[in-house]
Amino acid sequence: MSAGTQVHANLTEEQVRQISGELDEPDWLLETRLEALDALEELDMPDVIRTPGRDWTNLHELDFESLVDPLNAAEDKDQVGPDEADVLPWSKAVQEHDDLLQEHFGSVVDPQENYLTALSTALFSTGTVIYVPEGVDAEDVTVRTEQNSRSLFNYTLVVTEESSSVTLLERQSTGDEAEEQYYSGIVEVVAGENSYVQYGSLQNLSEEAYNFTVKRGVTDTYATIDWIEGNLGTQLTKTEVSTELAGDSSETQIVGAFYGHDDQHFDLDAKVWHRAEHTTADLVTRGVTDDVARSVYEGVQDVGADAWDTSSYQRENTLMLSDESEADASPKLIINNHDTEASHSATVGQIDEEDLLYMTSRGVGPRAARNMLVEGFFVPVLEEIDVDELRDDLEELIAARLRNRD
Amino acid sequence: MSSDQDHLQETDTEARFEFKKDQNAAVRSEKGLTEEVIRMISDDKDEPDWMLERRLRALKQYQNMPMPSGWPGMPDLSELDVEEIIPYIRPDVDKREGVDDWTELPDEIKDTFDKLGIPEAEKNALSGVGAQYESEVVYQNMQEQWEEKGVIFCNMDKAVQEHPELVKEHFMTTCVPPSDNKFAALHGAVWSGGSFVYVPEGVTVEMPVQAYFRMNSEGMGQFEHTLIIAEEGSEVHYIEGCSAPKYGTHNLHSGGVEVFVGEDAHVQYSTVQNWSKNTFNLNTKRAICEANGTMEWVSGSMGSKATMLYPCTILKGRGATDTHITIAFAGEGQDIDTGAKVYHNAPDTSSTIESKSISKDGGRTNYRGLVHIADGAENSSTAVECDALMFDNESTSDTMPYMEIEESKVDVAHEATVGKIGDEDIFYLQSRGLDDDDAKKMIVAGFIEPITEELPIEYAVELNRLIELEMEGSLG
Repeated sequence: MSAGTQVHANLTEEQVRQISGELDEPDWLLETRLEALDALEELDMPDVIRTPGRDWTNLHELDFESLVDPLNAAEDKDQVGPDEADVLPWSKAVQEHDDLLQEHFGSVVDPQENYLTALSTALFSTGTVIYVPEGVDAEDVTVRTEQNSRSLFNYTLVVTEESSSVTLLERQSTGDEAEEQYYSGIVEVVAGENSYVQYGSLQNLSEEAYNFTVKRGVTDTYATIDWIEGNLGTQLTKTEVSTELAGDSSETQIVGAFYGHDDQHFDLDAKVWHRAEHTTADLVTRGVTDDVARSVYEGVQDVGADAWDTSSYQRENTLMLSDESEADASPKLIINNHDTEASHSATVGQIDEEDLLYMTSRGVGPRAARNMLVEGFFVPVLEEIDVDELRDDLEELIAARLRNRD
Repeated sequence: MSSDQDHLQETDTEARFEFKKDQNAAVRSEKGLTEEVIRMISDDKDEPDWMLERRLRALKQYQNMPMPSGWPGMPDLSELDVEEIIPYIRPDVDKREGVDDWTELPDEIKDTFDKLGIPEAEKNALSGVGAQYESEVVYQNMQEQWEEKGVIFCNMDKAVQEHPELVKEHFMTTCVPPSDNKFAALHGAVWSGGSFVYVPEGVTVEMPVQAYFRMNSEGMGQFEHTLIIAEEGSEVHYIEGCSAPKYGTHNLHSGGVEVFVGEDAHVQYSTVQNWSKNTFNLNTKRAICEANGTMEWVSGSMGSKATMLYPCTILKGRGATDTHITIAFAGEGQDIDTGAKVYHNAPDTSSTIESKSISKDGGRTNYRGLVHIADGAENSSTAVECDALMFDNESTSDTMPYMEIEESKVDVAHEATVGKIGDEDIFYLQSRGLDDDDAKKMIVAGFIEPITEELPIEYAVELNRLIELEMEGSLG
């Protein structure tokens, strides 16, 4: 491993066996965990944007040895859903849905994709399985996770059968605050034919925490996966939200909002792989950086050779509120089929002085005017969020952060 | 409309680029890179010790540097074996510094440049012309009216002899040091030929100066160095054109370009390159722009097997401006990885990048760009626009811009679009009596117009012809 991290030195097979045993897991799953543990030595950290001489996010500096405490995970969790669908905690899901798990676990995110996915696979101790049978509309599935331990490894699987739908909100926050914490989450979404998945996520962990997540979905014919990705907490977040459009005429939307202040560092990836005909993607992210915060955005629209008649759009806008903050953006287009309409755009700028002058000349105080303009900046993204609860929460968190600003 | 065959004969561009000449060389180095080869080149040029020392230092840096790797989607350089490249060939010309009259050139070289149309271009539209054949400049001429004003336009080897102070200060020191990348180091070790342009304070050179580079021998490398110094308030437009016939083995072109744009000065650097499709084209081109200076890069990248080229401007002084206009065309077997780099290191600086690419018959184009706005570069603005046109489903077009923004009072925008040629557009033109091919040509001509309108008419015509030929699949 090129990472130079030593986490596997104090991780043992016994720990992994113990975690798996306490959850009463089947053998195949234990094997998957052990293989992931073995692979740690060989695996690299996830890709970050690199330009000659520079890594834009340095994951190698993390002190995993002190951050990862696999046997002392603690959390408060709510897992709520309607009766027609199964919304099960992991310990129950392994008993009730073995076939489903064997079929889908690790099918969307390869457990050995990189060092951090393998670490998460070997050590996760909590999770949720959401199964929506054919024709069922499951509104208001809610998963809240409050982390109360040094490290927490979480797993979420969503499977929708033909012509079903689900709206799911997953929130992460910190309860008992240790000095530094590590939250790692893997989300796999398997969207069946003509089904609709809306997956909203609101990450508001402690600002001492480190966060690594991969959320990835794969679509069948006519399926839609819409993601909402809100990031406010942590000192370092490395997250990827992505969809593989594998079925003809399937669609995806990725809506992102982030707000970094103090010395927060957000490394955010939004990716879509067009792999079938007539697929559509729309990626839109807006974020604010303040103080000495830094955002690194990488958006990838990859159109495969068989993806005829593709439409793919991407926008990313960053508002910088301070001189010391940094914003990096790399929206990539990879096009292997000419029957494609694709575009991407990115902008970085500050609050428009004229707008500010206009508002102050109408009697709005400078601070209130600035806050209104920042809130207004997020509106195009908030408008894309269909779930009232998530939109309201996000709005309130943004407003609270602005109120706390000097 | 004329048939395709008539059209070919009319433009005769294929004949202009693809002919080969017998190889008559006065001096020819061994293959590969050793200290002996470097000493031989330097000795043959009768160089001062300081230049030999710079070459040897660059060679050491080259030997210690890794090949570029780990770039997402970078072109395949595995077939490039620098040790098999002949780095230096001096053609058989009587006068070492070249001649200033076409008639004095050996017939085979004269014939080459005649076919490329260089003498006509000089007569009609240029302030001066330099022509390089293999490793040496064989012809150089500058109109007297500019010489009288103190403008210097000579080959780089001559500049080392006659303007050592200017060269010592500017040659691969602050702009493109050999340590910049492996191919810059290689270039620093084996460079030969190229142009030196010096424009004194306040002088405007109204017509472009031109250099043409021709690589004729099999398996050679061409490493010309271009150094342009535009003093305060001066203005100059430099154009280079490049070509080489195709051989079975690979050629390497690794040029170095350094441009110093003084306060309030204005430099335009235009390239139309059409290397043969076995050439690896790995260049380093960079400009340093002082306060209120303007740098403009205009480039058309047509030929080569693989190109990695990202002309770079460092906006060093307040109010400096940079413009990049580039067009890339990749046909069968070609990987054109090109783009632009801009460093905004001072307040009130601005840059514009306009990139167009066309890919066809399995070719790949990639826009790879970096815009860096340093902390303190207040009120800087940049706008990047990339458009890609794809002809068929074997081709690939990627866009990989990077933006590093460390300053809040800025205005940064990037936009890119990819599309195929519109069936409706073609239908419209066909309904007006054009055949399918001509309709496509016309659409492409419209697509690249922002580039061609920046070029002097000879070059615009040449670029259009080259693209038409590429579209007929008749080259290389």
